[in-house]
Amino acid sequence: MLRLYGGMIVLALAGPVAAQQRLGEAQAPRAPEQVYAKVCGYCHGRNVGPILLGRHLPAETVKYVARHGQNGMPAFRPTEVTPAELDALAAWIAAAPARKEEHGQ
Amino acid sequence: MSGFSIDRRGLLGTGLGASLAAGLGTGASAANPAPLAPGRTRADFAGAMKAFRGVVGAEWVFGDEDAVAPWSKTYIPDPAHQYKPVGAVCPQSVEEVQEIVRIANTYKQPLWTVSTGKNMGYGMTAPATPGQVVLDLKRMNRILEVDADLGTCLLEPGVTYQQLKDYLEEHKIPLWIDVPTVGPIASPVGNTLDRGVGYTPYGEHFMFQCGMEVCLPDGRLMRTGMGSIKGSTAWQAFKWGYGPYLDGLFTQSNFGIVTKMGLWLMPRPPVYKPFMVRHANMEDVPKIIEAMRPLRVSNLVANCNLMMSASYQLAMFKRRNEIVPDGAPLDEASLKKAASANGLGMWNTYFALYGTEQTVAGVEPIIRATLTASGGEVLTAAEMEGNPWFHHHQTLMQGGLNLDEVGLLRWRGAGGGLAWFAPVAAARGVEAERQTALAKEIVEKHGFDYTAAYAIGWRDLHHIIALLFDKADPAQEQKADACYRELVTRFGAQGWASYRTGVNSMDLVAQQYGEVNRDFNLTLKRAIDPNGILSPGKSGIHP
Repeated sequence: MLRLYGGMIVLALAGPVAAQQRLGEAQAPRAPEQVYAKVCGYCHGRNVGPILLGRHLPAETVKYVARHGQNGMPAFRPTEVTPAELDALAAWIAAAPARKEEHGQ
Repeated sequence: MSGFSIDRRGLLGTGLGASLAAGLGTGASAANPAPLAPGRTRADFAGAMKAFRGVVGAEWVFGDEDAVAPWSKTYIPDPAHQYKPVGAVCPQSVEEVQEIVRIANTYKQPLWTVSTGKNMGYGMTAPATPGQVVLDLKRMNRILEVDADLGTCLLEPGVTYQQLKDYLEEHKIPLWIDVPTVGPIASPVGNTLDRGVGYTPYGEHFMFQCGMEVCLPDGRLMRTGMGSIKGSTAWQAFKWGYGPYLDGLFTQSNFGIVTKMGLWLMPRPPVYKPFMVRHANMEDVPKIIEAMRPLRVSNLVANCNLMMSASYQLAMFKRRNEIVPDGAPLDEASLKKAASANGLGMWNTYFALYGTEQTVAGVEPIIRATLTASGGEVLTAAEMEGNPWFHHHQTLMQGGLNLDEVGLLRWRGAGGGLAWFAPVAAARGVEAERQTALAKEIVEKHGFDYTAAYAIGWRDLHHIIALLFDKADPAQEQKADACYRELVTRFGAQGWASYRTGVNSMDLVAQQYGEVNRDFNLTLKRAIDPNGILSPGKSGIHP
């Protein structure tokens, strides 16, 4: 994929769509993999929060917990993870296979 | 709740069922809605909310109880459930902020401004007084400028440290960011406005701020420093401008809404070398501070050090009942055993050297000699690689991102309770020794643990005490509230007041800073914001 950023040509790698932020523009909608990597995945599966992937958690449960914050988990507002991003994220988490590198305590 | 299938395994621990039964865990319920601001009627509130919808669209105004729940979640002790917003409005531009401010003046509807709302143990997005609508600026997340030569940027309040770091990396700009401990979801603008700290040489965030755009309470925009000079290229390069220096007035205050902020970014150094100094005993506190102070004052060690107690470190990744049984005190012998099993001492001090091969090699022996003489083991990646605590600090001290500290919230029971208490002292060993003794006495009297760290600044200590409790247990929440007040009061009596505090204690701390200071702030508030619409109660400043 070839994109132009302020006159600079950047060759994006294949894989999940990398919605890079452009100068002067608000963050573009993110794919579920990106939201997981940049928000959820810092805790879940990395010593801090319980593992989510591979457990087939109901999407509705994921959405409820994300918006309300379960126990020590903060709540995530629609301004942080948009309703459309959360719908896609919850469906993705419900269907995602487990990751070997993740570990929870 | 109907149509919501509850899978027991999907509840991810205890507490969700109880939260559902108690009305979404917000403390409010349909029969007991969050109260309005003093003197406001339902009609005033409805009028303001309708007008807000006209500005940002109905989908970005939140008024009913379930919709407001994400702005209501807090970690702080709040046994009376009083820190609850009544709504939220979420603009995406400065012009929308100005319109919202004009409407708030018309309806005298107070607005509680947040950037990304992730200050953790200080109250998140919850307002200090009842009836406020959260002005949530997260959607305003444009990175407006990055100057790779000058090492500066200009940001909107909703930009997260993650967004800024991604931008720099994607564009191969060799500048670092400086993060607080919850970088990925926190805001450089918000953290700087609350005068937070980080762990690179640019860790005193407000010192590295340069230029603001502020929406004043009458809706006009003001730029500080060089920003109001047409054609100036120095808005992000020269801090002071002309006349009274104004930027400080908009930190920890409620005199305006900062809509843009300039920050300085540190050039990535050729060499970055992180260190850990391990001390074996609780009583080593004064020795560590005395050894570190001359290194910090001379700037031989240039970053803000974190001197972490074993209990604070263990609480990040362990649960309390892995170390002592539930109900038992966290005794020193058990703590020492657990610390040692995880490669930790009773105090673990992290700093780093930044420079070239030559400068780092020149400074390292001096620092090693001083710290070894204090009784510490001086360790590097060579000895500590793979240790999760060393990795955590190694990440932070180069402006890296993680959320490891969220693990603190699971220390006791279902968890979810955290209040930061952060008294300041001069960087002297004797002061730290007295502070540690006093803090331990108070928290243990209330049945809590001394989970604490010292951030060693240039000449100061921020004693960061994490009061951890089980927020799912109302009796513990009540005790935590009493404990927090006793900490503030008794530390204050010794001359140690907080540098920053949560919405649960803003008035209490403001009292300690004295009547003249409070009157001065009030005089400004009444002159600048006569309708009292901006964040009433912030830092104890009420209209």
